[in-house]
Amino acid sequence: MARSVTTQRKTINTVLAWAVGLLIFFPILWTILTSFKTEAQAINDPPIWFFFDWTLENYSVVQERSNYMKFLWNSVIIAGGSTVLGVIIAIPAAWSMAFVPSKRTKDILLWMLSTKMLPAVGVLYPIYLLFIKLGLLDSRFGLVIVLMLINLPIIVWMLYTYFREIPGEILEAARMDGATLKEEIIYVLTPMAIPGIASTLLLNVILAWNEAFWTLNLTAANAAPLTAFIASYSSPEGLFYAKLSAASVMAIAPILIMGWFSQKQLVRGLTFGAVK
Amino acid sequence: MASNAHADFRSRLQVWLPKLVLSPSLAMVLVFVYGFIIFSVYLSFTDSRLLPSYGWVGWENYSKLWRLSHWEISLTNMGVFAVLYIGICSILGLGLAIFLDQKIRGEGFIRTIYLYPMALSFIVTGTAWKWFLDPGIGLENVMQSWGWTGFEFDWIKNRDFAIYTVVLAAVWQTSGFVMAMFLAGLRGIDNEMLKAAQMDGASNWNLYRRIIIPQLRPAFLSAFVILSHLAIKTFDLVIALTGGGPGRATELPATFMYSYTFTRNQMGIGAASAVIMLMTIAAIMIPYLYAELREKK
Repeated sequence: MARSVTTQRKTINTVLAWAVGLLIFFPILWTILTSFKTEAQAINDPPIWFFFDWTLENYSVVQERSNYMKFLWNSVIIAGGSTVLGVIIAIPAAWSMAFVPSKRTKDILLWMLSTKMLPAVGVLYPIYLLFIKLGLLDSRFGLVIVLMLINLPIIVWMLYTYFREIPGEILEAARMDGATLKEEIIYVLTPMAIPGIASTLLLNVILAWNEAFWTLNLTAANAAPLTAFIASYSSPEGLFYAKLSAASVMAIAPILIMGWFSQKQLVRGLTFGAVK
Repeated sequence: MASNAHADFRSRLQVWLPKLVLSPSLAMVLVFVYGFIIFSVYLSFTDSRLLPSYGWVGWENYSKLWRLSHWEISLTNMGVFAVLYIGICSILGLGLAIFLDQKIRGEGFIRTIYLYPMALSFIVTGTAWKWFLDPGIGLENVMQSWGWTGFEFDWIKNRDFAIYTVVLAAVWQTSGFVMAMFLAGLRGIDNEMLKAAQMDGASNWNLYRRIIIPQLRPAFLSAFVILSHLAIKTFDLVIALTGGGPGRATELPATFMYSYTFTRNQMGIGAASAVIMLMTIAAIMIPYLYAELREKK
């Protein structure tokens, strides 16, 4: 928006904006810094900022004591598996709604999305009981299915909005040139749909990675992902702050990296498409 | 003849295929969400305790629920939390959005920083805040060691104030995200109109008050719906930050339901509370979706 802003004003605003940014980022930064301190330095009076003996000791202790790699692997399987499965199931549905819309398409989409807003507690019992019956408690497979189901509406919705951005004229032109449905899908549609599918994958991996309600309720020792790992650290070992920080950093590092690349998708997905 | 039949098959396939490929997703959502919700509603009318049992007790669970002080506390907390959380997030989000709209250098980078907390798991941020707010080790300790010995900040251990620490952590996590919603709204406003108003000598303040903010109504509405459903669903943050304590000071409906089902073995009462939460969200959401639908048709 073109509003007149003087240079001085602009500088002040920029400095302020960065200050607010630092304030917001501070807890994350502090956690990262602390994770490299020794326990004594972590609770030192007064706090030490940067000039301490950087150590990786906390990381190796955390790995040794609670087998971080196992939790990480569970997170990867659960977040990745549920996302890939969900996208595979959602692509045909999104394709159908985007390219062959009917009168009901909008209603169906909104209805699907509305289910995502309902609190998970509403379906916790039935799932829990079903899991007991099927022996799925504390299994990665069970969590993959549940997370896939709860994120399916968002996956369908996101794919739909991306597919809608593919111009229909191109498809028509391909058809005019005598492309069969198969050729149309492989040579025209797929290359154009890949960016949207990638964005959807990224967002849903983050959502599934952060999911705590289901992972805490449905897992114990075997299938617990990183969210459960953090939760287990926060209570009994409350005094080991450097180690807790290291554990936190290990849990959020993948998200910090993925989040950087997916901020747009994050807003779009989390607002149910209200913001593109 | 053969090619004719083939063509016939193809055209019929073209009609049916879209519906056919849509149905698995639809069926899954239908069964998973509605089927299971109906089962939850059913459970809330039974005498289930540790395990589901099918003795029909009518409204008994609901009347028991409303007599529990524990439930009353979690509802009061929810009220305090929701009002503050939605209010503060909207104001901060709008403020930050207007601020970032002033041609800031490095806007893209800052926007990502503002958004970062939302990308993190509530469990992780809750744990970090728990530490930061702990009087023995966090902010209070730091301030005192810097010479401000009179500084006191023990809200997280204080029954009367602990709920505000949940608000604080939740606001920190979500404000940047609300900012992104408002920023997108701001960017969508017609430039011509603003230029015309500026030429007529409208001050910046008036520009915002009279033209820009009224046009953000859709953004306010979506922010409200999204924040309120997040508020009602709040669970992980409380578990990580305070565990519902001290005492019951930060118990919310979702944590109430959790403890009644899994630690107190009162499945019927827990299900009744889940149904009430569902109804509340539906009451907020249905009018919103209805309005959306009407607008887009």
